[in-house]
Amino acid sequence: MAQPLVEMRDIKKAYGKVRALEGADLTVYENEIVGLLGDNGAGKSTLIKVLSGAVPATSGDIYIRGEKVSIKSTADAIAHGIETIYQDSALVTQLSIARNLFLGREPVKGARFFDRMDQEAMNAVARDLMARVGITKDIPPTTPISSLSGGERQAVAIARAMHFESDLIILDEPTNNLGVAETQGVLRFVRNARDSGHSCIFIAHNIHHVFQVVDRIVVMRLGKIVADDIDPKTTSVEAVERVITGLEEDTPPGIPVAADA
Amino acid sequence: MIPSIVPRLIAKPEFGPFVLFIGMLAVFYSINPAFLSPLNISNTLTFMVEIGLIALAMTLLMTSGEFDLSVGAVFGFAPVLMWTLFNSGVTSLEVGFVIALLTAALIGATSGWFVTRLKIPSFLVTLGMLLVVRGTALYVTSGFPQRTWSPDGRLLADILVGDFYIGPFRLYMSLFWFIAAVLILHYVLTQSRVGNWIQAAGGNPQAAIARGVNVARTKMGLFILSAVMAAFAGIISSIRTLAANPNSGTGYELEVIAMVVIGGTALTGGRGTIIGTVLGILILRVMRNGIILIGVPGLAYNIFIGAIILGMMALHSGLERRHQGGS
Repeated sequence: MAQPLVEMRDIKKAYGKVRALEGADLTVYENEIVGLLGDNGAGKSTLIKVLSGAVPATSGDIYIRGEKVSIKSTADAIAHGIETIYQDSALVTQLSIARNLFLGREPVKGARFFDRMDQEAMNAVARDLMARVGITKDIPPTTPISSLSGGERQAVAIARAMHFESDLIILDEPTNNLGVAETQGVLRFVRNARDSGHSCIFIAHNIHHVFQVVDRIVVMRLGKIVADDIDPKTTSVEAVERVITGLEEDTPPGIPVAADA
Repeated sequence: MIPSIVPRLIAKPEFGPFVLFIGMLAVFYSINPAFLSPLNISNTLTFMVEIGLIALAMTLLMTSGEFDLSVGAVFGFAPVLMWTLFNSGVTSLEVGFVIALLTAALIGATSGWFVTRLKIPSFLVTLGMLLVVRGTALYVTSGFPQRTWSPDGRLLADILVGDFYIGPFRLYMSLFWFIAAVLILHYVLTQSRVGNWIQAAGGNPQAAIARGVNVARTKMGLFILSAVMAAFAGIISSIRTLAANPNSGTGYELEVIAMVVIGGTALTGGRGTIIGTVLGILILRVMRNGIILIGVPGLAYNIFIGAIILGMMALHSGLERRHQGGS
């Protein structure tokens, strides 16, 4: 495997007396898709929020390519190449695909004083990106997000992360509320992102979706990582479910267990 | 090509107000041809552009998801301040004009600060500001209109509101200020990066902030713009009518908001149109003028305005639902 892209070490997070994370360690390597699994309350959302800058950790360190970084806001995370895609929340539905893709980083044409967006360039890039991410339908880049399906919206968010060279794309429940065909589309977009050199963390309640797309599965339970090197090709869904629920006291063969679990 | 253009035109938020406006012109003209006489057109345009300046700035502010109830009070306060400074000999008229605009900018910045820093809804902040500003104007003048004067021949008066004739039409310079504001603000909203930020700030502020857009600064700028435009409009109106009444502009905030929403700008933010607002301004002012010309009692004006607002809201919400449905 390549060198670690992101390392989270001994991350702790407490909300008052409730301890959501009790020293979680997560490593994501270059060019891989990691599936993050865990039951409700296991701490996966909190861990992701810490990494995406949505909430600060109580303690612990984050390293990107071996260098310690401080992530205090979503903007910090984006500046460090970490993009989080939540269901719907990252897009402005009234704006077009192209305007969403470039929001906050719109290219300017002509004299700077006039602050004029280069809409032709934005539309051209948007059209190219939508094709690269795997949208086969011909959707004009001037289409407002509100006219797109749930899967197409995910595609726009993934395309944006790809275009702005995000090293790590975090997808939090990207297949929620999507139909079968739409889900397959999103899984394809995620694979395409990995094939173009991006790493991904994929969180989904539907374990079958995770199995279809990820290179490695990490399981959280009670605020800790309890298994971090499950190979979806050699492990059964049932075995992973037993790790998630904690019903299996003895780790089944083929599932390496994290050192501190 | 025509079949694909027609449904797209109909789906535009400006289409409904446009059809209504044309319909109103036809009805009023057929009942009373004097409606389209040069004198009536000149009269309607005169005041329309003054309140219209406020509506144009309000369009951008409402697109960003906020609104400003203090514009009517600023419309009354700014000329009172300018003329008080001038009449008391403290400053020249030009310096008084600049001070009045700067004071309005400060009022806008204060509203903006309460909304963006203290996270208080703009409805409450600007309601409070309305009372503070109107109260100040009444207190300073003891509630009386400022003494009249004649600013004829002064350069500032000529630049702001000097009149001239084009054929049979008597027009004021303020019409050109209005047209300039329409062109500039339409450009800002549709072509500039700031326009993209304004729409994003109103549509999904969290997403905009996550992309590095400075939503607070964008909104702050729009509160300042809104107050300065209201002050500018109030000063133009006061020079034209040779009066500075501390009560003038009362109720304008609601008329301005009505103009903006009739034109198709969303009350909830995220979507705005300057062209639509121009139509909204025309509809409300022409309606006020037209129903009197066709003999409807002036007191019935609000019934028509209310009905137009309800009808246009139903139309816009229908269009929005179609949009959301992806058709």
